[in-house]
Amino acid sequence: MYYLRSTFAVAQQTFLLLLRNRLLWLLLLAELACLAIGVVAGTFAPPREDGRALYVQLGYWLFCFVLAPWVSMFFAIQVVHGDIEDRTFQYLFLRPVRRSALLLGKWLAVAALCGAALALGVALLFVAITLPGSRWIGTPEWQLVPVFAGTTAAAAVAYTAIATWFAARFRRPLVWAAMFLVGLQHAIAFLPAQASLRVITVADPVRRILYRSLDLEPRLARDLWPTEREWRPELVGQPELNLLLIVVISLALGLWVYCRSEYDSRPRE
Amino acid sequence: MTADGDSVLLAFANVSKWYGQVSALMDVTLACGAEVVGLVGRNGAGKSTLMKLACGLLTPSQGAVTVCGLSPARPAARALLGFCPELERLYERVSGRQFVAWMLRLHGRSGRAAWARAGEVLEQLGLGQHMHRRIGEYSKGMRQRVRLAQALAHGPRVVLLDEPMTGLDPVARHEMAEHIHALARTGVGVLVSSHVLHELEAMVDRVALIHQGRLLAEGTVHELRGQLRGQPHRLRLRSVAPRELAAALLGFEQVASVGVTADAIEVGVTGEPGFYGALTALAAEPRGLVDEVVPLDDSLASVFGYLVG
Repeated sequence: MYYLRSTFAVAQQTFLLLLRNRLLWLLLLAELACLAIGVVAGTFAPPREDGRALYVQLGYWLFCFVLAPWVSMFFAIQVVHGDIEDRTFQYLFLRPVRRSALLLGKWLAVAALCGAALALGVALLFVAITLPGSRWIGTPEWQLVPVFAGTTAAAAVAYTAIATWFAARFRRPLVWAAMFLVGLQHAIAFLPAQASLRVITVADPVRRILYRSLDLEPRLARDLWPTEREWRPELVGQPELNLLLIVVISLALGLWVYCRSEYDSRPRE
Repeated sequence: MTADGDSVLLAFANVSKWYGQVSALMDVTLACGAEVVGLVGRNGAGKSTLMKLACGLLTPSQGAVTVCGLSPARPAARALLGFCPELERLYERVSGRQFVAWMLRLHGRSGRAAWARAGEVLEQLGLGQHMHRRIGEYSKGMRQRVRLAQALAHGPRVVLLDEPMTGLDPVARHEMAEHIHALARTGVGVLVSSHVLHELEAMVDRVALIHQGRLLAEGTVHELRGQLRGQPHRLRLRSVAPRELAAALLGFEQVASVGVTADAIEVGVTGEPGFYGALTALAAEPRGLVDEVVPLDDSLASVFGYLVG
């Protein structure tokens, strides 16, 4: 019980600190830029791109593929690695609280903030696309909003878990995060379905969650997975389990390192 | 003098610490009871490493550290510890009161109790008027008080203060010394490091001298000075006839230098044995050449200087 209480106390404190972080303005700007793209696309896209196609493509590419990974990993690294770098972690490590509770609390806070901000952003994207005029065949499909909000939030949770591990383990976690996103994720997540290596990325399970939830028509399915020419529903697999495994393994590795490290005396890489 | 076995609050038993091939501490044994123990050493001597070992931020490579009989790796031991690091950074965007209250919440206090206690401690440390301002706006001295407040707020049994005087003005230094003394009176063990040796000397009960990771000596300043009879040192001898006294002393082979003033002379002694016997004999002569003997080097700085060369 004390463990849970301290975890939530750390989460609350981290959340309040995050709200005072000036870098939140960057997140706001990034989201505004995405919304502006939504308005422009809603106004000028060719007529064959109806509201559903526009929202699915922009929602996936802008939010799930670009904003969610970069924003979530950046903020998680700020939160976990920031106090290791400036050594304020000493104030926390002195308390009668297990280090695992400290790390879990920080992760909970950053995952909640990023998840909520991105879910709100992807919901506003729907409004941005819909506002310029009726692009929808029939009425706007509002049911897409919770699907995208939930999926983007789940992506944020997974990315923050990976970043938490990087931040606990490496001296330059942002470099590792960039290598993960550009070098690994972008290269592997778009391999054809037979390459099961895809499951070690976040982009792939996130896309498969969308496939299952949205029941995509073949053209839209191909737009989200260009290398997979013959999309079939059975290719979805168990994306939630894949995502959960990524979160659990990343957090376990992060906790293992964080609880054992002497951050004052770490050798330079 | 060392802390009794029963009253030991903080103990280092044959503690060594290596960073890879580099040895930071070698076989340090030290105990601290409800008293103020000063830690003296040059930069890189191992003072901060010793403190971080005491609060569990580092693990000893060899030997054991205990806080009230518990390993500092255990949360129960950390509940009994307060550490004021030398660190400059704090949580810049929150107020002093909020920072201290947050730290208290991690000691299991409710939000309301933590908030009230934080205000109380900051008030005691003279930060009452400024406790609601952001830490980023604080002066060095105010930041130092906040650091001290987070170390004391939860009522620890052992307090570790790494350079607590840094950035404080003379009045604040005096107040800080009073706070430290008051802590020891309430049964708290205090281990304090400082480069300002004369201030440290005034506030500590015992001193531990650390050099190149080794504990060179420990005891009161006077005891340490007593161990240094064989070292060169200086004396001031007051006399009604200083020139005559100087002439007599120049005949001593242990006297390296003599300086004469109006009513006294300053003598540099090599440290070889026999000087004090000869001086006693000279003072006992009917001429009454020696009125008073005052050691000029009986300070912590001198002792430290002698020990580390």
